[in-house]
Amino acid sequence: MTRKNGDFVLPGDILGVSEEFIPGYGVYEEKGKVYSSITGIANLDFERKRAFVEPLTDTPPIPKLGDIVICEVTGIKEKMAMVEIIALKKNPRRALAVSPMARIYISQTSRKYVTDISHEFKEGDLVRAKVVNVKKTPIELSTVGENFGVIRAYCSKCKTPLEKKNNKLECPRCGNVELRKTASDYRKGVF
Amino acid sequence: MELIKDGIRIDGRKKDELREIKIKAGVLKRADGSAYVEWGMNKVYAAVYGPRELYPRFLRRYDKAILQCRYNMASFSVEERKRPGPDRRSVEISKVTRSALEPVVLTENFPESVINVNIEIVQAEAGTRCAGITAASVALADAGIPMRDLLPACAAGKVGGEIVLDLCKEEDNFGESDLPIAMVPRTGGITLLQMDGLMTEEEIEEALNLAKKGCKIIYEKQKEALKQKYRGNNND
Repeated sequence: MTRKNGDFVLPGDILGVSEEFIPGYGVYEEKGKVYSSITGIANLDFERKRAFVEPLTDTPPIPKLGDIVICEVTGIKEKMAMVEIIALKKNPRRALAVSPMARIYISQTSRKYVTDISHEFKEGDLVRAKVVNVKKTPIELSTVGENFGVIRAYCSKCKTPLEKKNNKLECPRCGNVELRKTASDYRKGVF
Repeated sequence: MELIKDGIRIDGRKKDELREIKIKAGVLKRADGSAYVEWGMNKVYAAVYGPRELYPRFLRRYDKAILQCRYNMASFSVEERKRPGPDRRSVEISKVTRSALEPVVLTENFPESVINVNIEIVQAEAGTRCAGITAASVALADAGIPMRDLLPACAAGKVGGEIVLDLCKEEDNFGESDLPIAMVPRTGGITLLQMDGLMTEEEIEEALNLAKKGCKIIYEKQKEALKQKYRGNNND
């Protein structure tokens, strides 16, 4: 049986032989044959000899280049902020299938020149960031840009969520003023 | 009690006839993937979570995801109230379910992580481990976890001196032998093989072939369940 481009396939459905295709997403090779491993629509490129399956099901979330993520700062080092990815924007309900550890290097925090990264992030902050490198472990994120940065920060003295007043972050409880690289929609409840 | 008379069994089935089976994919909203199986009087839910980060860390495998299966019977699932919680039997079934599913799931795609498979038996009437594995593999596919194939499971056994397919409650209790298997339909590989009672070599061979036939029928039902859920919005 030969498969056509755009066929509905299930796990274990044969797509072709190894000479025809290089397995891509949702495709695996076994004993000279190429099979689908997920439920979806077969995408067979006979010219470039590639096969992948476009999933119709929910898929395990894996951060890809350019993905927007929400993360929590777990630690600050001299030149970077260590963060833990809480969710991917495209699939927020499901836990990450890979290690959620990531880092934001000092040069990737802001468009401005940053001398001290602890003026941009503090432990416990919620940050919206973009994935810029997935080949390294931990993966690298960036908060360069108006939409990226801290979306919720806590006072370093009393742990009260800080409020934004005239481009400054102020603690409503103790009046402490702090510095952060905030996103434009800081504490607006936007994901 | 006569369990089989003129080729007709106690519940009116023929020797090579399965009970009525209904499979539905994606029934639980909170789970990453789920399935519901009604197999005769058996009612089974399977829910899948993951792959996700595994703790404690020493359980992690650097080259593959591990499967954690939990088979659980509700206290109201059997005639007499079952004491809730894991017991010797359910720990064993959890273990055989895991080893049945491991060869079909492409665990090497998700190193250092865990896939949780939860099987809840809401109502039991013989053959719950087969129903559980059948449901679990549909739930795994529903979660978008890459698999080599779906995994149907089915039992055959010896009742009243004859080899029959898919034993019901009375046959399981008063029959001579029960042989549940799980088969990878594409390759014909068997990932679960257990036996209860006694059979001769020839009888085992016969029961195995019968159970394999049963697996193929269930495989079609599993595919149908996934098609029904995911093909509805895409008519190609």
